[in-house]
Amino acid sequence: MTTRPHPVAASAAADTDALLSLRDVAITHLDAPGATPSAVSFDVRPGEAVLVLGPSGSGKSTLALALNGLVPHSVPATVEGTVRVAGQDAATATIAQLAVTVGMVFQDPDAQLITGTLLDEVCFGPENLRLPVDVVLTRAEAALRCMGLWEKRHESPDVLSGGGRQRLAIACALAMGSPVLVLDEPTANLDPRGVDDVYVALREVVAEGDRALVLVEHNLDAAMGLVERVVVLDGDGCLVADGPVDDVLRGRAADLHALGVWLPTATLAALRLRDAGYPFTRLPLTPAELREALEGMPARGAASLPRPRERDRGDALVSVEGLRLSRGRTPVLHGIDLEVAAGEFVAVAGANGAGKTTLVQAIAGVLRPPRGTVRIDGLDVRRTDARTLSRHVGFVFQNPEHQFIATTVFDEIAHGLRAQRLGDGEVRRRAGELLARFGLADKAGIHPFLLSGGQKRRLSVGTALVGGARLLVLDEPTFGQDRARAEELLTLLDDLREDGTTIIVVTHDMQVVAEHADRLIVVDEGRIAADGLVADVFSDPALIARAGLRTPPLREAFAGLRRHPELATVARLRDLPGGTR
Amino acid sequence: MTAVVAADRPEARRGLTALNPLAKIAGPAPAMLALVFVRDLSTPLVFLCLAYAALLLGARLTRRGLGILFGVIPVAIVVVTAGFALWVDPARVADTSEVVRLGDGAVTQGALEIGLATGLRLAAIMALAFIGGLTTEGPDLVRSLVQQLRVPYRIGYAALAAIRFVPRFGHELAVIRQAHRVRGARGGVWSAPARAVGYVVPLLAGAIRHAERVALAMDARAFGAYPDRTERHRVPWRRRDTVFIGAFWAVSIAVFAVVRPF
Repeated sequence: MTTRPHPVAASAAADTDALLSLRDVAITHLDAPGATPSAVSFDVRPGEAVLVLGPSGSGKSTLALALNGLVPHSVPATVEGTVRVAGQDAATATIAQLAVTVGMVFQDPDAQLITGTLLDEVCFGPENLRLPVDVVLTRAEAALRCMGLWEKRHESPDVLSGGGRQRLAIACALAMGSPVLVLDEPTANLDPRGVDDVYVALREVVAEGDRALVLVEHNLDAAMGLVERVVVLDGDGCLVADGPVDDVLRGRAADLHALGVWLPTATLAALRLRDAGYPFTRLPLTPAELREALEGMPARGAASLPRPRERDRGDALVSVEGLRLSRGRTPVLHGIDLEVAAGEFVAVAGANGAGKTTLVQAIAGVLRPPRGTVRIDGLDVRRTDARTLSRHVGFVFQNPEHQFIATTVFDEIAHGLRAQRLGDGEVRRRAGELLARFGLADKAGIHPFLLSGGQKRRLSVGTALVGGARLLVLDEPTFGQDRARAEELLTLLDDLREDGTTIIVVTHDMQVVAEHADRLIVVDEGRIAADGLVADVFSDPALIARAGLRTPPLREAFAGLRRHPELATVARLRDLPGGTR
Repeated sequence: MTAVVAADRPEARRGLTALNPLAKIAGPAPAMLALVFVRDLSTPLVFLCLAYAALLLGARLTRRGLGILFGVIPVAIVVVTAGFALWVDPARVADTSEVVRLGDGAVTQGALEIGLATGLRLAAIMALAFIGGLTTEGPDLVRSLVQQLRVPYRIGYAALAAIRFVPRFGHELAVIRQAHRVRGARGGVWSAPARAVGYVVPLLAGAIRHAERVALAMDARAFGAYPDRTERHRVPWRRRDTVFIGAFWAVSIAVFAVVRPF
């Protein structure tokens, strides 16, 4: 935990007015091969809202932790260069001094709760600062009122939704009285309604104008309009851009895209369309801007783009009839009927608690559905034993670690094959093939928990499919993950589907639905609220809002375009003209 | 450092709930300890009645509390009585008359008495512990430990945060078991230990990660930055706490003096 001034630090004078001032910051974790971030200098002044972008692995979260001294005071790491927080050197200041300048909001709302009521929770920070009781209570009230939680102050945080708990975490940070708020992926664990909740609250904070905001966020579509400045790191953690949103995101979108930085969906779409000859003078950042820009362009008279081809529906693989199911005494599903044909890619969406997970777990036999209500390949799921069922359906849990039962990657795969009483040679051959296919051949001997996050996810998919299942069911597989890792998994699913695997996936991410699924089932309060082609379901905005979902950005931009009817039906980036972006 | 006493709470407190949590532990503690060594029927019965009277008159119990008093404890008495009556060495009670005949063995009156004495003893100890247990909230116990017994607040509040982990781990364990079942982990009663070992690794990995995150979130809010912290809720030691302890001890001594179990 040493801090030595970087040779360059002397030349760039720290900005004394800045709340945060970073000069040539490089941070190396204990076992890390190199520093990420590796060269970052920027300042944050009062009232600014700054978005930090960078590809996966560029050290954004580490940087966020360094802004209030958690790195290196709580998380051991070597910090080079200087981080100044309100003029104090973060390396020598105490955590209490830093905490009153920089408040933190983390990704997992549950990991930020300590006490039993909302009021106690918000008071926790100010109490640690030894403030007098009346000041503690005044601050707590102001913070809770700002987040719209004052009425619930005596309740347990458990009664709040994910979005509500994250608003509580923001209230806790506000109550510290810090002029800077650092938020590290604050919406990654939330459903669309929770994301909206948090952004409404953040807009409130920005509107007050007295606090600076530093936001690390992968959901750029939500963050647009809130932030005014963007700081970009490249894959090695070097600062490559720092400026107003217009200059950086609009002006250098193509460069950033090449670096692997995620861009707003509307901007990505415009990049593709520009390559295809649509003359954008100014790249759009939001669906509304994209729509406006397109309506302002001369019509091209191009032929209407074909609707995504409807696949030939195979025979019915899954059939659900009159499925009712309770968890404990609470009825969760009230009579579900549906069929899934072989080869489909079905997304299941709905608000938290709507019954999505219960539905897919019943389909895969994780929960035991009543007799005769769920059939896969003609087998009654209730009357089929686990071993036979694993030859027909594989289930992937949200957290891949939960599924691992062996001590090596090879055994993990081999377990399912041995269960089918295959010979040793055959087990070895088929496990080897599968490992190679999922890019894990060189990891066969190591413990599954030592794999990287993406590898764990691939292994969990591999174990689900090893029995020869034609149906793969996944419960929120992209939850809490960054874009790059989510994309890697989705590409894998697309490939599996090309090879004939039927896929049912529960997801909150509407652009995932639009990009990958051909059919969307909306679950609302234990019933199927809609079931149809993705494009058709999204064409009913009232239904989408009622079920706590959002219209995907592209759909929002293109639906009913007058000047460019050729785009009106496009909902997927890959259906846009314009090459390989 | 100023403090408000129980201000801004949804409801005022009365009876046992208003006592300092430590008093509710210290009062019954000597009787609980002494009960471990008695062997007769009357002493535990008297203390059982005393504890029930204190709980029913001194506190407004929740449905769960009533369930414990009138469901869990009576069932425990019956189960322990029956268990010990069957288990006790028949030679010790050979000279007493038979009550029930079961195949070759017999339950004698002596065995039943020993069983009942054990059942009542355990029930009395439980009921005395519930005087504090059912009328105290976790945070108040932590506060009084910090305020009266000078337990470092860093330990007390960290323990409080850890209590919040329990339901989370319960849920996580349920998911892990489900996931392992889906994978077709070994079934059957005999491989239960092997299955349990399989749950430990993912549970621990999740627990450590969660604990690290909570610790970071607490650090970010300056937990532990100073040697003390503001207490909004004083849990004072009042005269009535001393009186409660004194009275409880006096009654305990009186019971032992009158019943003379030793």
